[in-house]
Amino acid sequence: MAERRRVAITGLGLVTPVGNDVTTTWDALLHGKSGGAPISLFDASGFPVHIAAEVKDFDDRDLIDDRRLQKFTNRSHRFALAAAEQALRDAGIRPTEADAMRWGCAVGAGMMGVDFADLATTHQHSAADGELHSELLLTDGPANDPLAFCRSNCAAGLSLLTRRYGIRGYATSVHTACASGGQALGTAMKLIRRGTVDCALAGGFDSMISPVGIAGFCLLSALSPDNDAPQRASRPFDATRNGFLLGEGAGFLVLEEWQAARRRGAHIYAELAGDGNSLSSYRITDSPPDGDGPIQAMQQALASAGAAPADIDYLNAHGTSTGMNDRSESAAIRAVFGAGVAELAVSSTKSTMGHLIAAAGAVEVAICALAIRDGIMPINANLNEVDPDCDLHFVRDVPRRQRIRMTMSNSFGFGGSNSCIVLRNPEEVDGVAAARAVARKPA
Amino acid sequence: MITATGAVCSGGKNPGEILAGVRAGRSSIAPIQQWDVQQWPTRMAGEVADFNPREMVDDRKLHKLIRRTDLFGLYAAGRAITDAGLVSHRDTLAADAAATFSDRTGVYVGSGSGNFENQYDYFPLLTAANGSLPEFGRELANTVNPMWLLRSLPNNVLGHIGIKYGLKGSNACITNHSCSGSLAVIEGMEALRNGEAERVVAVGHDAPIEPQMVLYYYRLGLLATDTLRPFDVARDGSVFGEGAGALVLEQESSATARNAKVLGEVLGGGYASEATGLLAIRDDGDGLARAIAAALDDAKVNASEVGMIVAHGNGTRPSDASEAAAIRTIFGGDSPPVTAFKWSFGHLIAAAGILEATLALAALAEGVVPGVATLRELDPDCAGLSVSAQSQKSRSKIALILCRGFGGTDAALLVRAA
Repeated sequence: MAERRRVAITGLGLVTPVGNDVTTTWDALLHGKSGGAPISLFDASGFPVHIAAEVKDFDDRDLIDDRRLQKFTNRSHRFALAAAEQALRDAGIRPTEADAMRWGCAVGAGMMGVDFADLATTHQHSAADGELHSELLLTDGPANDPLAFCRSNCAAGLSLLTRRYGIRGYATSVHTACASGGQALGTAMKLIRRGTVDCALAGGFDSMISPVGIAGFCLLSALSPDNDAPQRASRPFDATRNGFLLGEGAGFLVLEEWQAARRRGAHIYAELAGDGNSLSSYRITDSPPDGDGPIQAMQQALASAGAAPADIDYLNAHGTSTGMNDRSESAAIRAVFGAGVAELAVSSTKSTMGHLIAAAGAVEVAICALAIRDGIMPINANLNEVDPDCDLHFVRDVPRRQRIRMTMSNSFGFGGSNSCIVLRNPEEVDGVAAARAVARKPA
Repeated sequence: MITATGAVCSGGKNPGEILAGVRAGRSSIAPIQQWDVQQWPTRMAGEVADFNPREMVDDRKLHKLIRRTDLFGLYAAGRAITDAGLVSHRDTLAADAAATFSDRTGVYVGSGSGNFENQYDYFPLLTAANGSLPEFGRELANTVNPMWLLRSLPNNVLGHIGIKYGLKGSNACITNHSCSGSLAVIEGMEALRNGEAERVVAVGHDAPIEPQMVLYYYRLGLLATDTLRPFDVARDGSVFGEGAGALVLEQESSATARNAKVLGEVLGGGYASEATGLLAIRDDGDGLARAIAAALDDAKVNASEVGMIVAHGNGTRPSDASEAAAIRTIFGGDSPPVTAFKWSFGHLIAAAGILEATLALAALAEGVVPGVATLRELDPDCAGLSVSAQSQKSRSKIALILCRGFGGTDAALLVRAA
């Protein structure tokens, strides 16, 4: 049997609450600079939670020079287009007429289709008394506006990306709540491995910082109510943690078949080496206390990467900062790594960025790629008093400098889908000399 | 190996019943009942009649946590899982083997939309808040179901199949408009090929018949005034349906170990995108032709071995004409018998491809290619298709099932009946 096709990560793009590009985001994470703040996108003062990690000062004019396209976008789509453009520029490759059919696209898309402004307008026109009067919809503004429909469709983000970049191979949109971004990357990895495509644009995007989005999470009591301390609200694995900080943004990666990337002299951040994917089948929102489900995803990702637990130097945890997730994830990590857990450095970058929901998995895998490139692990901020149930070896206070052989990134979603992605340092694939011959200087 | 199927739509509650309706030339498309459509410019759809949530999902507590589309998905998947005997087989295994069985059983879901009505749950709160967002925030907990966000999850069918049947393997929830269900089959098949799972449940579900959705499709010129007439010179659009389709797929060793009855096999799949934006498609059928070619290549099947084609045939002018162009590109002047099913029960969007795959399998078992009862005169733009109002004979036990979705996406599946 021929050797399995390897998948190279050759481009990164990020729009996050701590930076609108890769460099700014990475710098903020290394300094533990939180993206939490009072919500500015709407008047949230009456909500039980009125803090979030918003994308700030977002301006995509120099990235997306297509006014017509932008009419078809909502906020999360604009993050996606910006992050994708960054990633393609970074990789120095994009689809051409000749190879467009060998390019794929896999995205983890947010679930919030309808803009709140459109919902409020429809309410006023067609449901002022609180009940929908369907005959009034016939003259309702947003309900008759094709652009409002396009923005709301679940395939909208995907179609904007494939159209803008002329991607004509396998293009798919997935949604498994907070695991979406990781599952999109796993899907893209498999497409390249099995030869369906040679290159892929893959990532996730989301924005739920809207009255309906915040409301949905408030009703489930999932968010930290620390309105007076937004920068401290997200403290994964801390004994005093009390919910997550809602973030927004997008992360995109350019993936290429390894040999082709090497041939063109591309800078390879890392090998996208393994994908694991399981169902907890426990409860829709609850995490299994013993880590059953996440354990299988992590084990599968290791097997898929041909790696052993001892090969992993850094684990970017799902670490949402809810009581249940962090406890369950800690149990899973202990079960998978056994005695080796003492050697495994762990941090949750949600401590600074907040939880980017459908974008989280993709953004956090990009962070693992940066960690490998620079040999540095970002911190788990706000960790003052480690929960005894979460007794792991955390990167605290200052980033740790250490050559990283392999990383693991966890993403677990409502509904019980668990995604785990393993990356490998390119030096571990081709040897140090070959990898460094094309390595760029760290930022 | 396909070891069980499940389906629900306006035409019936299992593939055999739905196919019988198609073969008899029966259409279950009728005026919409869910709201008053008297004033509406378009009134027809294939609704599941006498819709009874408890018939779909017995667990009444679950009804508060899921939506109509999820009920269909759980019903079809449940029928397939029960018919395949997955759970009853697991019950015979020792604890360790049973746990491995669960870990090695995947779930692949193609999930639809329905994202408008769910948001209407906020209308009473918007009325109470009277334009004040702070008031909206304060009144929230008194007005909206605390489980609202969970009801909205596009991956509910995936999560609840897992919980109900204790399945824990590899999984995906694909939200890719009409190709979602076909992609669930393709990704489930690939999980078996690469050893991620030994058996998978693939399901597609959708319930697009809601006022705002119908209105948008109408304004976009996608809906027919009365009847869906695929490939007909007088066709003027599509008609919504609703429901779900499901397949249990297994590695041969898994099916053999359980002594399972094998209905057929998914031989391969192909998928492509046209990069034309959300709504536009190419006239030449480029994406669909490439998807068919990829499916044939994947399955190592020659075009001449295909016994019948289940076309997407959604009844819109551009889609049917470009679909015919794609079929001509691949099959030249020698098209196998072509049929399409949507005229009978409507377009199930995310569930269309997988539901039609269950029907194709049932049709192959009978060797028959059902006629398209609403076809009166083949559009010259669709020339070259062996499509007929009368039933035809399949040339072989292999069917090609086509599916096309927003974003210029095209999927092709090849299945063989046992």
